[in-house]
Amino acid sequence: MADPTEKARDEFLSEAQEIVETLSRNLLDLDASARSGAVDPALINEAFRAVHTLKGLAGLFGAQRLGQMSHRLEDLLDDLRLGRMTLGPDVLDTLFAAVDVYGRLLAQEREGRDDPSPAADELLARLEKLGSEAPSRAAPATEYDLDPSLLAVLTEYEEHRLRANLEQKMRLYRLRVEFDLTTIDKALEDMKARAKRHGEIITYLPAGEATSADAIELDLLMASRDDLATLIGALGADNVVIEEIPRKRTSVGTAPPHKPYAGDLVVRADESVRPSVHGDASLEQGPSLRSLTQTVRVDIRKLDALMNVVGELAIVRGSIARMAERLRAEGQRQLTAELQRLHRSFERRLAEMQAGILEVRMVPLGQVFDRLARVVRQIGREMSKEIRLVITGSETEIDKLIVEELSDPLMHMIRNAIDHGIEPSNLRAEVGKPPAGTIALNAYQKGNHVMIEVEDDGRGIDEQAVLEKAVRLGKIAAEDGAELSREEVLALVFLPGVSTREAVSETSGRGVGMDIVKTNIGRLGGIIDVQSEPGIGTKMTITLPITLAIVSALMVHIADQVFAIPLSTVSEALSLEPGLSRMLDGREVITLRGATLPLCRLDRVLGLERRKTPAPRKHYVVVVSLGNRRLGVVVDHLIGQQDIVIKPLGRSLASVRGFAGATELGDQRVGLVLDAAAIVDEVLSGADVLRERGALHG
Amino acid sequence: MVDLVRTRGERLARRASGRGPVREFLTFVLGSDVFGVELARVKEILSPPPITPVPRAPSEVVGVCSVRGLLVTVVDLRIRLKLEVRPDTRRTRILLATASSGEAVGLWVDEVLQVVRLAETDMELATAGIGTEVSEYVLGVGRPQGEFIVLLDLSALVTG
Repeated sequence: MADPTEKARDEFLSEAQEIVETLSRNLLDLDASARSGAVDPALINEAFRAVHTLKGLAGLFGAQRLGQMSHRLEDLLDDLRLGRMTLGPDVLDTLFAAVDVYGRLLAQEREGRDDPSPAADELLARLEKLGSEAPSRAAPATEYDLDPSLLAVLTEYEEHRLRANLEQKMRLYRLRVEFDLTTIDKALEDMKARAKRHGEIITYLPAGEATSADAIELDLLMASRDDLATLIGALGADNVVIEEIPRKRTSVGTAPPHKPYAGDLVVRADESVRPSVHGDASLEQGPSLRSLTQTVRVDIRKLDALMNVVGELAIVRGSIARMAERLRAEGQRQLTAELQRLHRSFERRLAEMQAGILEVRMVPLGQVFDRLARVVRQIGREMSKEIRLVITGSETEIDKLIVEELSDPLMHMIRNAIDHGIEPSNLRAEVGKPPAGTIALNAYQKGNHVMIEVEDDGRGIDEQAVLEKAVRLGKIAAEDGAELSREEVLALVFLPGVSTREAVSETSGRGVGMDIVKTNIGRLGGIIDVQSEPGIGTKMTITLPITLAIVSALMVHIADQVFAIPLSTVSEALSLEPGLSRMLDGREVITLRGATLPLCRLDRVLGLERRKTPAPRKHYVVVVSLGNRRLGVVVDHLIGQQDIVIKPLGRSLASVRGFAGATELGDQRVGLVLDAAAIVDEVLSGADVLRERGALHG
Repeated sequence: MVDLVRTRGERLARRASGRGPVREFLTFVLGSDVFGVELARVKEILSPPPITPVPRAPSEVVGVCSVRGLLVTVVDLRIRLKLEVRPDTRRTRILLATASSGEAVGLWVDEVLQVVRLAETDMELATAGIGTEVSEYVLGVGRPQGEFIVLLDLSALVTG
């Protein structure tokens, strides 16, 4: 870790990853803008810059294949932005494929592998082919009525933009703007942003003399559809003079004599890197040396380490409280009061610190949603289905570790929805649905949980088929199946072997079953529910804890031992009077509000010995609910709610089922955290009954 | 505590009799025998903190405990090595070591003795011939000044 080259390499990889993600987002926008018929040149420029930066990074770190690919890609994007090539679906496909290949190459780099990559080779071949199709450089435009000295200094890109704008019968304007030298960067960006709504700034060049030594005048050449009055209304200001350049005869001459149009303000050499020229280096020497961003990248393990420190401080806090208690017992009133004040202040600060660290771990779900948008486009094209993806709540924040683990399950759910949910467009037309299928990806926060919904407007899940499949696989008995409620039948899709795919159609598809999705979500402490209406659509809802770093837990006593049950799985707790439960099919159950709730005596299931105290007469039942399944866990006492930091058990305890980890209880002791999902699985699958009958050893 | 053991060990080491490169071993009592592990692999010697038993864990796992925020799996070496288990005394200690998997493992021992320095000629490294169930954990035997110490392979103990 201390190796600086290693560290720099990590930096490189994560920066490259970020750039690729930005590129991917950018391509999606480009895709949307291409479909609406008007490609925003700024988007192509952004993509070009991203690839250019990647090329530079790859060169720096000797990542040859990455560099080679970036180089070709850069050529392609250059052709696009210079108008030598049009942005058709095949070009977009190639660009999207490049994002995938980038991901693969980066993964290889990370593992230090140098395997042959057929995907990369194929992409290079595609890029080569596209490149050879591009026409050679267009003839320089000579037909427009502009000052030749101006034309002489336009870059190829600017020339292309000018031509493109004139082809669209735009009017040309000259904006003479006086900028303050100290704020020129920002002011120019503001100007460009405001101008964007009305047209495009093609170039800017230094004009005549400024009124003071601290100011500079620039001539902005702008193309717009709007008339002069509108532009003056939108962009006019004390320091801005706008004139229209007449179409017919050159009138640039009416402007004050521009001595050097090719002024030294314009850094031509790196035009290809930064189409937006920021000005002479000497003008912005101060600010340009400073990094523009205020952010740092932090390894999440460092945050985990900090969280551990907070956990330890919480233990110190507990000791202080106990000490204050002792002092009071000894009659030290003054000292007690002082210590208690310190304790309260310490407690407050500690809570702030904990909240601060948690906040740093949070990232918006948009990170994973962007990746999914790409997948939707790709799968839609593969299956020749038109898909409209509607995303809401991508700003919802969740623990970074959870986000990383979410993309696979969500991707699978979306693939399922497109493959098996959304009908082919001819079938949709028959039932009066719009030809494009809609997939909605919604996220929102609900208390200490984040909810993510994947909803489609497809055909819905065929319950009968699901039921038949489950019976055929021997998951349930046929006679039991008849008694299942609608919800229970739908929940069967999460059993191994039964998936929405096999249930709806026997067509071959890819991917794993929904049971894997459920397991993955469960590993994150989350649950998944399904709702479906035949002919209307299916909605899968994932409920996740906001963070894995700290969870709220219900602390309970069983046979002298303290256990923590994550509160996210607890729906309620109630007292269990003796004689209230009855036996049903060899299992202890109670009736809770008219429904049968199976019970699980945790002391027996876990084989806990009661050495010190006998079992109490009255017990408590903690109702654990995971998705549609509920289980009453019988415990001795309820202690209360506590925020805990879960630490995983070591490798030598990996085979022990039923515990999610351990947590410090504050008095130097350690409590075990129950893995509610594992216990529910085990108990409801009947393993506990078998064990009690002695048929199973474990 | 560690310092005390070290000084004692150093005193003994000055009297080391054999020749060749010298290795340091921490010796301790399990049941009625003296064992040793390489000192460099022992991170800490602890008085047993409160230990939480883990239901369903293998019988040799005493439980888990926390050492300044670090979760430690405590293993009873007497059960692992099929030795006589005596009741705990105030001399009972836990040797803290790190497994190759990164897991912090505590080895439960009856009593920690001292550090001995063994020259190559004081050691007899194990051959495959011993043939007991526990031979995979045995590095060899040490004979400093007529004593008999079973040298254990700590890496085998904490990964097993």
